[in-house]
Amino acid sequence: MLSRVADSLYWMSRYMERADGILRMLRINYASSQDDFQEFSWKPVLQIFTYLDDEKATAIAKDTRAVLQYMVTDRENSNSVLSIITRARENARSVQDHITKELWQCLNDFYHTIRDEQLGKGFHKEDPVTILDILIRQGLLYYGTADVTMARGEGYAFLNIGKFLERGVQSADILDVKFSDVDYDFAKTDTTYWKYLLLSISGYELYLKTYRSAFDAKNVVEQIVLNEDFPRSIIYSINQLHSKFERLRTGRNKEGYQKIDFMIGKIRSKVKYSTVESIMQQGLHAYLNGVKEELYEVGNAFNQYYFAYT
Amino acid sequence: MQTSELLHNYLVDSNTWDEMYTNSAIRGQYQSVVEFMQQMSIEELNKKEELAKRLFMSQGITFTVYSSGEGIEKIFPFDIIPRIITAAEWSYIEEGIRQRLKALNLFLKDVYNDQFILKDGVVPVDMVYSCPHFLREMHGFHVPHDIYVHIAGIDLIRDHDGTFYILEDNLRTPSGVSYMLENREITKRIFPDLIPRNNVRSVTEYPNILHRNLVSLSPRQTANPTIVLLTPGIYNSAYFEHTTLARLMGVELVEGRDLVVDNHRVYMKTTSGLQQVDVIYRRVDDEFLDPLVFNPDSMLGVAGIMSAYRKGNVAIVNAIGNGVADDKAIYTYVPAMIRYYLNEEPILKNVPTYQLGNPEEREHVFGNMNNMVIKKTNESGGYGMLMGHTASDEEIARYREAIVKDPRQYIAQPIINLSSAPCYMNGKLKPRRIDLRPYALCGPGGIQIVPGGLTRVALREGSLVVNSSQGGGSKDTWVLAG
Repeated sequence: MLSRVADSLYWMSRYMERADGILRMLRINYASSQDDFQEFSWKPVLQIFTYLDDEKATAIAKDTRAVLQYMVTDRENSNSVLSIITRARENARSVQDHITKELWQCLNDFYHTIRDEQLGKGFHKEDPVTILDILIRQGLLYYGTADVTMARGEGYAFLNIGKFLERGVQSADILDVKFSDVDYDFAKTDTTYWKYLLLSISGYELYLKTYRSAFDAKNVVEQIVLNEDFPRSIIYSINQLHSKFERLRTGRNKEGYQKIDFMIGKIRSKVKYSTVESIMQQGLHAYLNGVKEELYEVGNAFNQYYFAYT
Repeated sequence: MQTSELLHNYLVDSNTWDEMYTNSAIRGQYQSVVEFMQQMSIEELNKKEELAKRLFMSQGITFTVYSSGEGIEKIFPFDIIPRIITAAEWSYIEEGIRQRLKALNLFLKDVYNDQFILKDGVVPVDMVYSCPHFLREMHGFHVPHDIYVHIAGIDLIRDHDGTFYILEDNLRTPSGVSYMLENREITKRIFPDLIPRNNVRSVTEYPNILHRNLVSLSPRQTANPTIVLLTPGIYNSAYFEHTTLARLMGVELVEGRDLVVDNHRVYMKTTSGLQQVDVIYRRVDDEFLDPLVFNPDSMLGVAGIMSAYRKGNVAIVNAIGNGVADDKAIYTYVPAMIRYYLNEEPILKNVPTYQLGNPEEREHVFGNMNNMVIKKTNESGGYGMLMGHTASDEEIARYREAIVKDPRQYIAQPIINLSSAPCYMNGKLKPRRIDLRPYALCGPGGIQIVPGGLTRVALREGSLVVNSSQGGGSKDTWVLAG
């Protein structure tokens, strides 16, 4: 497979994963904003997902509709879902002969849906959940189409590598910002706060089934970092990254494979053999930062060993 | 037949051949389609038109227009009424194109080797040597199987009496074939059953034939040669076509930066190292192909590719330097080439063309500017063109001045009244002017022409310019099986 093609598939997939993460997170935060408006602020969301400086973020942090419009359909915002989908589509466009026609059409439809001006205007008068649901469904269609139609070759491996690398980074980010917002105070027992965090990454029901108790910040950390069955946990993302990467073992690129295999193995062991206690000992922020750093290094290694074509 | 709402006001211009109507009767080949359309309400037809647009949009069959920093997706306008060619018309066209291509191929081989045709004075030497697309880099080099033109798009038009004329030969990197394929797919969706009921010949073989030809050109004797399609990239207006063809043939779509030349061999950069490339179907123009030999600023090409080509380590399709054969001034001599190389009378006629280097012809043209089309010899796509009957005095004066300065750069042709065909416009059928571009594929096994082609249509009323850059659209093109 061409290096450029692998690169584009990887980025297409990372962008799609990022768009999906942002949309789900917005949907739940919107619900949260309706529930508990006194305490609720969009600021942490703006901090993770945009480049707004503190002053500007504070300025719109209480205006739900302005935030949604800025984060979903704003053309100036290079991290709006619209901009991200546009970049995913540009990548897809340059590898159209390596993704199935169905997948291309699905992504292309997503692009045209989100660019529809009526949709963006809707944020100012209609129910935002309806609009977000339309977009989230487009994303689900993308995942399903990729799963059902794509051949399980090298290209599919790069799609999944991008997807799970992005997901791991995103889960670490969300967890970190939510905790920083309460100054890493594990004693904080505000039920709605944790409930909405879990909802935003589709982990609420699993939490209830696993812990059957009131909310405890330690359990929240455990689920999002260490639960191997939770598809948005950090360990799940790394496990998937590892197994999808193994598909490349048979390739001729022995040097690249060995280097990256070592790096993924290392971060995988690090997370796998962590406990909530050891994480707290180290400090949650430092721990999550460490994980993110290592995931970024894995990404850089792919650049160096698999995507270098200039 | 009763005239319905749909056909009301279908007014064919005088002195124009209409593909559907003759003396107020509908030609046999159109009857079944017109009946079918008449059974539908305007709402239904509008819905079909809407569906066609949506299908183009959702499949990304679009080109991007950049304005105010933002890309706007546009579709190439598609008219839902097919253009129909009878079996008899087609076999005539097919035979004519085959003959013409044979001669053009021989001409290219000749001008780049022995130059008999120049020595015999059939084509003037200065005509060839003054052509910017005549490349000395190709001199004395034998291309595989002596094939220069692997893919040709020959533009045909019809005069008022229905005679077909060759308007232009496109022998470099003719585009539009993806629209031939996609327009057919759209017709299948919007008018179910209409195609089988009318006995329309299929066009889907095109990518298979092309792929077979490409495989047969591989310089390495291997069962599975590496074939690539070289595109200038996603910002090229024909990018959709490049991806479509790569997908349909199952070959790798590459950009210049994906390729590298080492020891006169071309390789592509893959995730598992370099892989040798055997055949390149390039959609990059000659001058951008190799910065070491041609335009040194080109970012689209591959340094050293020309040397790999001349060493015979890679096949390039179409051959480099073909522009000397589809130059608009050389065009005048194609009938002479057919007589010279094949000893045959040309089947398809040329449009009468005036060489502006010849003082007598120039005076004749200057005296009749209102009835002339002036074309630059090396431009295409409807650029560098003056339509005498609509141009302002100022424009005419500007062209006259330019012609006097450098007559080799221009040719003149009498304005030919393109034939018209019905188009669906707001609930009515209206006649609009069309041309036809069939695609011919030339491989070691001979010349094959897929029964169909691209019909371009001038959607503006009265317009004679069908180029997409000038507001043209396209139609599905049917060739009927007997």
